[in-house]
Order: sequence, then C-alpha cells, then structure tokens
Amino acid sequence: MSWVAIVWSMTVWACLTLAILHLVIWFKQTRQFAYLLFSVIGASVAAIALCELLALRAQSPEQFGRLVWWAHLPAFSAVVSIVGFVRLYFRAGRLWLGYAACGLRLLDLIMNFFSAPNLNYKEIAGLRHLTVFGGETISVAKGLENPWIKVSELSSLFLLLFVVDASVTLWRRGQRAERRRAVVVGGCVILFILMAAGHPALIEAGLIQSPCLISLSFLAIVGAMGYELSLDVVRAEQLARRLQASETALRESEQNMSLAASAAELAMWTWDVTRDEIWTTDKGRALLGFAKPDKITFEYFLTALHPEDRETVRQSVTNALNGFGEYESEFRVVLPGGQTRWISGRGRVEFDGGKPVRMRGVLFDVTPRKLAEERFRLVVEAAPNAMIMVDAEGKIDLTNAQVESVFGYTRQELVGHPLEILVPERLRDRHSEHRSGYFADPKAHAMVAGRELFGRRKDGSEVPIEISLNPIRTSEAPFALASIVDITERRRAELKAARQRNELAHLSRAALLGELSGSLAHELNQPLSAILFNAQAAQLLLRQDAAHPDELQEILGEIVEENKRAGEVIRRLRALLRKGETQLEPLHINEVVNSVLKLMRSDLVNQHVAVRAELAPDLPVVDGDGIQIQQVLLNLVVNGCDAMAEVEPIERRLLVCTAKLTDGREVSVSVADRGCGIPPDKMERIFEPFFTTKTHGMGLGLAVCRTIISAHGGKLWVTNNAGRGATFQFTLPANARAAE
Amino acid sequence: MNDLATTVFVVDDELSVRQALVRLLRLARLNVAAFSSAEAFLECYDPGTPGCLVLDLAMPGLNGLELQEALTGRGSSLPIIFLTGHGDLPSGVMAMKRGAVDFLTKPADANDLIETVRGAIEKDRVTRQTRAELTEIQRRFATLTPREHEVLCQVVCGKLNKQIAADLGTTEKTIKVHRARVMEKAKVGSLAELVMLAQRARILPCQPT
Repeated sequence: MSWVAIVWSMTVWACLTLAILHLVIWFKQTRQFAYLLFSVIGASVAAIALCELLALRAQSPEQFGRLVWWAHLPAFSAVVSIVGFVRLYFRAGRLWLGYAACGLRLLDLIMNFFSAPNLNYKEIAGLRHLTVFGGETISVAKGLENPWIKVSELSSLFLLLFVVDASVTLWRRGQRAERRRAVVVGGCVILFILMAAGHPALIEAGLIQSPCLISLSFLAIVGAMGYELSLDVVRAEQLARRLQASETALRESEQNMSLAASAAELAMWTWDVTRDEIWTTDKGRALLGFAKPDKITFEYFLTALHPEDRETVRQSVTNALNGFGEYESEFRVVLPGGQTRWISGRGRVEFDGGKPVRMRGVLFDVTPRKLAEERFRLVVEAAPNAMIMVDAEGKIDLTNAQVESVFGYTRQELVGHPLEILVPERLRDRHSEHRSGYFADPKAHAMVAGRELFGRRKDGSEVPIEISLNPIRTSEAPFALASIVDITERRRAELKAARQRNELAHLSRAALLGELSGSLAHELNQPLSAILFNAQAAQLLLRQDAAHPDELQEILGEIVEENKRAGEVIRRLRALLRKGETQLEPLHINEVVNSVLKLMRSDLVNQHVAVRAELAPDLPVVDGDGIQIQQVLLNLVVNGCDAMAEVEPIERRLLVCTAKLTDGREVSVSVADRGCGIPPDKMERIFEPFFTTKTHGMGLGLAVCRTIISAHGGKLWVTNNAGRGATFQFTLPANARAAE
Repeated sequence: MNDLATTVFVVDDELSVRQALVRLLRLARLNVAAFSSAEAFLECYDPGTPGCLVLDLAMPGLNGLELQEALTGRGSSLPIIFLTGHGDLPSGVMAMKRGAVDFLTKPADANDLIETVRGAIEKDRVTRQTRAELTEIQRRFATLTPREHEVLCQVVCGKLNKQIAADLGTTEKTIKVHRARVMEKAKVGSLAELVMLAQRARILPCQPT
C-alpha cells in the first residue's frame, strides 16, 4: 500500500473521527453549536481529503477536474463552519469579515457550479504523473488556470483576516486560557488557511512540484483541536474532581444538616408550588402519618390535619404565597391510630420573578410542649382561685373560669386587654405604677400588707379581693401570675364575727356593770345627795327671815358642780352600756386607768381594797376603743378585788401599773393583786369562755377581755407573783403617727 | 343638860356631801362637828358629849359598821343614823340590830334627816338622863350595909318586920331601925317609892323560903 493512500486515508478517518466525536458531544449538549460546527469542519475536511486522494490517483483529466469541482462543496461548508466556530468559540471577530468570507465562498461555489471543468481550471489539458518521495506516483493537472479562482482566494483572505482579528481580540482580553486558545486555535486556523490558499498558488507558480494538499494542512487544526480537546478533557477531569470534592462537602453538609435536623427532631420539606408536589424526609412523613409511597399534594397534606386547623393553615400558607414570604403555624395532626399530635411548621417561599415557585421549611413535633401548655392551662383552669396571667405591658394573657365568675367578664373580653379594666377607676393610676415596679423586681408575694384591695366587676361594682403574685419567666417574656380570691364572704364573716364580738363584749360589759351596780349607784347618789341637801338647805335658809345672798350663792354653786358630776357619771355609764361598733381613737392609757379607778372607787372602798396606781409619764398614744379598753381594765380590777375577798382587809392591795415596752412601740398595763394566785393548770383555762372560779359570774369576762385585746393587736396574759397573788397584764401597740 | 353642848357628829369621806350636810344641819340650828373619816372622829370623840352621829356607811379605812362596833366597844350610847348610797339591805339589818337609830338611803330628804337627827338627840338625852338616874339610885343603894341590903330585899318582898326579924334571927325592933336607915339612905319617904327604886336598880326580892 502506498504511503499517500495511508496518509490521506488516515487524514480522512481522523477528520471523520473528530467530526463524529464532536457530533456526539453536540448531541449531548445541543446548545453548544461550536461542537456541531467543528463537526461540520471535520466532515468537510474529510471530504476534501477524500477528493484529494482520489484526485492524486486520477487516471484522466476529466476525472481529476470532476474531483476538484466536487471539492468546492466541502470547501464552502468548511469556510462557513470555521467562521461560525471561531465566532462561537472565541466570541470575537468582526462579523462583516466573516460574512465577506462566507459570501465570497458562496459566490465561488455558485461559479464553480457553472464552470467546466471547475473554477480552478479553464481547461485541463492533461495529467502529469509525478514521482514523489518513496517512489510514489501522483497525478497533477496540466492546464489553464481559471481567473475566477481569485474569488476563492479573496474569500480565504477575508477568512484569514477574520480569524486574525478574532485571535487578536481574544489575545487582548488577556486571560491565560484565552490567549492560549487564540494562539493555538487561531494560529492553526491561520496556518491552515495560509497553507490551503498558499499551496495551490505555489503549485500554480510552478515553484513546487506537488499536488494540491489542502487536507494535510488541516491536520494542524486537528492537532490544535486535539490539544484543546485534551485540555478540555483535563479540565473536565479537574472539574469533575472539584465537583466531586464539592459534592462530598455538600453531601457532608447535607448529612450534618440532616443529622442536626434529626437531632433536633426536625423534618424538612419542600413544596414545589407549580407542580403541587410536596417532598419531605422520612421524619416528616412519620410526623404527618403518611405512608411512604404516597404522593403528597397540598390538599392531601391538609387531610392529615385536624379539621379545625385546616383553615388556619391554609390561610397562613396563602398569606406566605401572596407575598408575605414566611410561613409559620401550629396545627394538630390526627394520626391513623386516632391520637393527636401537635406540629409546628415553618417555611419560606422562594419566588421567581415575583411568582412563588417553591416553599421550603421544617416541621417539628411540639406535642410535649403543647401538652405541658395544656396541662398548665388545665391547672390554671382547675385552680380554686381566679388566676390571671399578665405580661409586662399589663396585657391579660390567660384567665380561668373563676375569673369569669368573680369579675363577670367572659374570657374573650379579657384576653389581650389591659389588666386595668379589672381595677376600679380610682385605683388605676396607682395600679400601673405597682405593676411596673413589680416587673422591675419580680418576686412572689402577697399583695395584702396593710392595703384593702378591690377589683372592678363588669357591671362597675367593686369586689374586695386578695391577690398573691408569682413571677413566671418564660423564654419569650416575663409574666406575672396573679391568684385572686374574692373575699366578699370572708369580709362578711369577719364583719359578722366583729359584730358578734361587739355584742358579746357589750353583754359582758353589761354583766360587769350589773356587778358594779352598787358602786355605780353610789357614784351617782353622792352628787345627788349633795344636791338635795344643798337645795333643801337653801329652802330652809329662805324660810328663815334673814336674807343670806352669799350663802345662797355658795349653795347654788355647789348644786351646779354636783349636777355636773352626776351628769359625768351618767355619761360614762351610758358610754359603757352603749352597744356599738368598735371605734378606734387615740387613747391616753393613763387617762383610761384613772377613769376606771374613779368609777370603781366606792366598790374598792367597800371591799377595803387599797389601790395604788403607778403610771408611767410620757406614754405613747395607742389606737383603741376607749370603752372596750375600760371594760378590760374594769374586769381586771374587779377580778383582782374578788381574788382578795378572803384576804385580811389590811392586806387587800391592788397595784395598777402602766409602762412603755419595746422602745415605745407598745404600751403595757398590769394589775397585780395580793390574792391567792392562779393554779398553774388553770393559767390558760381562765381565758376560756364559760370557765370561772367564782361562784357567780358567767365566765365570760376574761375571754371577752382577751378577744378585745387581740382585736386591738395586743396580748393579754397572767403570771403569778413571786410573793402572793397574780398579775394580769396586757399590751397595746403604740400609735406611731400620733406619738406625743 | 345644856342644849349648846349637844352636837351632831357628821362622818363622811365625800367632801361635797359632808359640806352639804353640815350646812343643812346648821341651818336647822344644830351644833355640828364634821369628820372625813371614822378614825379622825374616834380621835376627837368624847363620849360625854351628847348628841348623835350621822354616819356614811361606805368609807375607806374603817367603814360605818366598824365605827359603830368600835363605839359600842367603848360603851358609847351615841345614837347613830346611817346614810348609805343605796339600799344595802344586809348592812342595814346589821346596823339596826346593833342599835342604829335609822338607816337613810341617799339621796335622803333633808326634812326626814333633820327629824331623825332631832329624834336621835332626844333619845340620847333620855338615855343619858335615865342612865344618870340609875347611877344615882345605884349609888344610894351602894351605901347600904350588907344587913341593910338583906332587910331591903325582905322589905321589897312585902314581908312584915316581925317576919323579917324571925327570918334573920333578930328582934322586930332592930329590923325597924334597919328599915328606917334604908329609907333614909334611898332618900325615899314611902315603902312604895322604895320598891320602885329597888326595881329600877334591879334589886331582886328575896325568894320566899
């Protein structure tokens, strides 16, 4: 086989291989027209090479001429393809140069079509058989050159200019890969054109003795393209490796994410809005209770939800799709088993040109939290007190049924509204101050210290209440949980108890005064006697003739004095017998002691009891009901006297002392007798109602006394004296404001 | 008895009442001495002074009843009129049993009081007079010798001189002399007078044997 045949055949096959290869590539990437064009170039060059091979072996001038004529067709397609390829591959080159090259080549083709034997030759006289390297014989035409072949050459020139221009432009862009491409591809194409155009010219000029060898020059392009291709392959391999690396990283991050998601019990989902298809992780399917093969559409997703929640979820999703972009909702899922699960869903919409195309997000199970919330709500609901949870702004967050019954508002009327609507108008300003102060330093405490608290019902009436506050710190914000007790009943009971206590005190007082009636009558009789004696003395005086105006004056003066004194006794008695509410007033305890001793004077005298009063000066004022305190003292003095009934008259001594206690915060009064004392086992029993050591008496005196003193915030107790007898003592808190 | 020496004693711890009492009694033309306590009164009291005592029942220190007791203890017959604040019945009964003249409840009517005081003064006067007479009689009888006393007893029994002489183992004449001495010492002129005196002096007639 001759080497010519081998070389040209190889060229044909190489070009065809490249053409097919790139055609295959183009089929895979139909958008990359450069591959198609390169494929066309390859095919064209293969055709040219085939023509050349046949021409070299031509046996007749007609055959030769015919082959050259045919060669113009692939030459045309080659030029057009090169222009297109360079343009696409370089993205450079002046178009008019390319158009000119293509146009001239088209003209060449048309002219060739009408030429005989072809555009190259006017006529082919004959064939010369040349013997070239290796002893091969090839055929070369002998004939007249066709002048119109200049069109073909002009076309080649424009093509050359176009490629040079494109290569220069590419070079100037300055990137390394592009410069290399400019040099390799541009250079080769230029070389090919120069060779393809120059070689026939040289043959024409008879400078060289060789056949027309266009196709071989194309091998340069094959090499260049091969080189480029290999670079592409290398680059593709690098890209692939990089891709793999990034894919690994991506997979890793995805794994991390899914790990994190599964650790956080998160389920991820994506909703292709346009195709209405929801993809979710296994976790998501499990959460929603979907079997694996189900195709999930939005409507299908909704069927998994509790019927009551469907509308809210749909609304929330619609809002997100309509431009809000974010979706968040909590809903219940009814599982096939019938249990309910609380799910929190969050997502974000991806828009494409303002149109929602996709939504991605997560789902997670919030059932435990919801159960805890539910449990909290149930606990609050079941609480016996009215419970109100308030945020730092004073907005009501949660109430229970008791609140409705205490305040008369329904839940809907309260939740979300300021707490102040439950506070009487007159207290509102102060209340908001208290609230701010509370949130500044939230502590659990009861709001009862020294304050009467009132709530306001829906109908505007006020209700006495007791409040205890507990701070609740959630992750979102601080809250205060107020536990409110309606104390109307307790108030009423307290009032009733107070009234009963007053009643009892009054009864006991009346009984005491009954015991003292002799003494009291005496107190009243003394002034009355004096008045009567004086008045009758005056009558006597007037009956006697002599006028004694001075003496009459004196008598009348005394009558007036004694009358006043009797009036005073009656007033005091009336006060003691008065039945009324406890009235607190500032009291000077020494005055009370003196008043009682005065009232009991004759009784003490009758019983031969000598009283000594040791009254401390500068005692603080106490708050108390004067009558009730007098009653207590009367009781103690009477008891003291009774205790000494069996004692020798000379020993019957009673000591009444007043004193300041605990730095003046308390005042104490003690009554010490010299009787037989109190047996230790009866020390406390004597204060019990209906317990008495006396043969007469109801046994109420001391019980009532203790009640009275307790109601005043004091204490009453008894101790036996070191010598003989007992000392009863009581304390009363001093009035800090009116201290003197 | 000198009317001026007769004194109404007033004991009351209550100044106003005491003053009013003093004023009233003085206007009733009575001589009044007032004391604020039983003790003060006892210190100054002369049992020889006639009159009466207006006494408050309830007083610090000695009370009315105790003062009454103390006076009785001293042999005083001073009539006592109690004044008391209210009708303390047991005290009143006790006081009356011990010889109180009256028991007046405050406020007492002044006229009643003055009346009572006057009555008490009169009573005191009578008592004192009776007691003086008795003392005189007893003094007279005290001068009798034992024999004369025996004769007196027999005479008061209404025995004749002869019987007395027989009983005493003496002569009728001797008895006559004794009898005349008795009559003389008793300062009586008749047998009837002698019998009356002997009766007042609680000289009991001898029992017939």
